[in-house]
Amino acid sequence: MSANTTATQVLFDAPGPRGRRRILLLSVLSVLLILALIGAGLWQFQRNGQLAADKWIPYLRRDYLAFLGKGLAGTLEATAVAAVIAFPFGLVLALGRISRLRALSTVAAVWIEFFRGIPMLLVVYAFLLALPAYGVTFPRFWMLVIPMILVSSATTAEVFRAGIGAVDRGQNEASAAVGLTHGQTMRYVILPQAVRLVLPSLILALVSLLKDSTLGYVVSFNELQFQGKTMVSITRFLVQTYLVVSVIYIVLNFLLTKLAGLLDVRMHRRAAEGSGRR
Amino acid sequence: MIRFDHVGKTYPDGTTAVEDFSLTVDSHASVVLVGTSGSGKTTLMRMVNRMVDPTSGRVLIDDEDVAAMDPVKLRRRIGYVMQASGLLPHRTVAENVATVPHLEGVSRRRSRSRALALLEMVGLDHKLGDRYPSQLSGGQQQRVGVARALAADPNILLMDEPFGAVDPIVRAELQKELLRLQSELGKTILFVTHDIDEAFLLGEKVVILKPGGVVAQEGTPSQILADPADDFVETFVGSGRGKRALHLEEVDGRQVVVDESGRPTGVLHAAPESRS
Ligand SMILES: Nc1ncnc2c1ncn2[C@@H]1O[C@H](COP(=O)(O)OP(=O)(O)OP(=O)(O)O)[C@@H](O)[C@H]1O
Ligand SMILES: [Mg+2]
Repeated sequence: MSANTTATQVLFDAPGPRGRRRILLLSVLSVLLILALIGAGLWQFQRNGQLAADKWIPYLRRDYLAFLGKGLAGTLEATAVAAVIAFPFGLVLALGRISRLRALSTVAAVWIEFFRGIPMLLVVYAFLLALPAYGVTFPRFWMLVIPMILVSSATTAEVFRAGIGAVDRGQNEASAAVGLTHGQTMRYVILPQAVRLVLPSLILALVSLLKDSTLGYVVSFNELQFQGKTMVSITRFLVQTYLVVSVIYIVLNFLLTKLAGLLDVRMHRRAAEGSGRR
Repeated sequence: MIRFDHVGKTYPDGTTAVEDFSLTVDSHASVVLVGTSGSGKTTLMRMVNRMVDPTSGRVLIDDEDVAAMDPVKLRRRIGYVMQASGLLPHRTVAENVATVPHLEGVSRRRSRSRALALLEMVGLDHKLGDRYPSQLSGGQQQRVGVARALAADPNILLMDEPFGAVDPIVRAELQKELLRLQSELGKTILFVTHDIDEAFLLGEKVVILKPGGVVAQEGTPSQILADPADDFVETFVGSGRGKRALHLEEVDGRQVVVDESGRPTGVLHAAPESRS
């Protein structure tokens, strides 16, 4: 988040030439270490015959791909639906949290703290085991997605709140001076700027939603990891399946993180420009 | 006409910013409040558009108590220019200027063309309308701030150290521009500054404030210069230190104006330029 980044920049000096050399050395060493580990792993797989072509070729077969593809679709759908509901809900929670109405802000605060603190697995179990005991049941998809929404909205509420707090205070005064109401100030001035500020953090929230969706296996929802698990139980290709599944996750998250980084740079430039001459 | 009637302000934390202040600003007049930092200038100015409510006394606009008016409506018919221009960084310059007309329901096209006209009026190329505030210089941003304050065509203009953050050359330019605007538009202007030169240049009437919003002296610039009420005013306007006790010396055949300590402060032209 932008506020954090600037704080980091303030707290830590930019490394000098010696510091940079040390960082370079450490980077090279860690890359070598990682390569060595991968090499060792591959060698181990090789010795156990895990690299044998017949164990990998199936992943080029259309039915295998379709099976995993279905999982991927499930993962993306769960993530997308959760995000589309959770993010606006998070914004509403944040607005409640900073509301001048004491009762509203307390309720929002308690709600946010509760779902931020509780492991998502427990929420999933609540929907899988506890609620059905009282006769409340949901389709598998929602047994996964509702907990994702509850947890993610609580986290993004805090992201939004930080963003709203990061908007220059002078903007409030300026808005009041030209005659905007409190609500108009929020709508036209504070929120547009806050959302810009937190956009990169929201993308990172998307990454964590994507990972959260792997809890779909608990409720047997056909997301990517669950499909992988099923595939393993059929083919017994444990290593290969999970490697393929991991690569898909990593590529997805890498792309999202990359996007967040790009946005961050752009927003920073904007924000810096915006407050440049005050 | 704006009338401060024995107003006082004690903030919730116990700070008394203004004790007991009275002043009348005639319609179409420009009055400058000048005083050291913390003397309550901003507090007084904000009482006019109800960004601050006085804890005692009243502020009247055309004999109507502002306390009885809706703050939002009141503010929309009063222009306010802040020290930091207070522009919205995510809106273009033209959108910034058109904020209030737009909210008042003026169509986008009409409020835009009015915004561009206002930009020209404050001396900015209308091409700047599509830029973002961050793409303007500090002086240009202040001009946009003035244009925005004029957008709703208010009768009253409140200006809180609007030129405090720009360099002396740009500042002088902006001051000249404001005098020109004032002679064209004839608004009622309440202007705040801590620069006595600016006060004397812009104010038909100048009010010198001591901490607590206490009026040290009130009058036209020449009255104050000719007859400072006390040591405080004397020090403040600089006449005590001889800064304004000037005399002429001849240098290279030109008349140079020199202050008491012998520092040259200007050149005398054959025909002295008239003010405004
Ligand atoms: N919101 C507030 N809460 C508490 N005290 C305040 C508040 N605003 C101003 N004050 C105090 O009131 C006094 C007058 O402040 P004010 O801003 O009116 O001064 P000013 O003359 O405008 O000063 P400056 O030239 O620095 O802008 C100061 O002592 C200030 O600390
Ligand atoms: Mg002030």
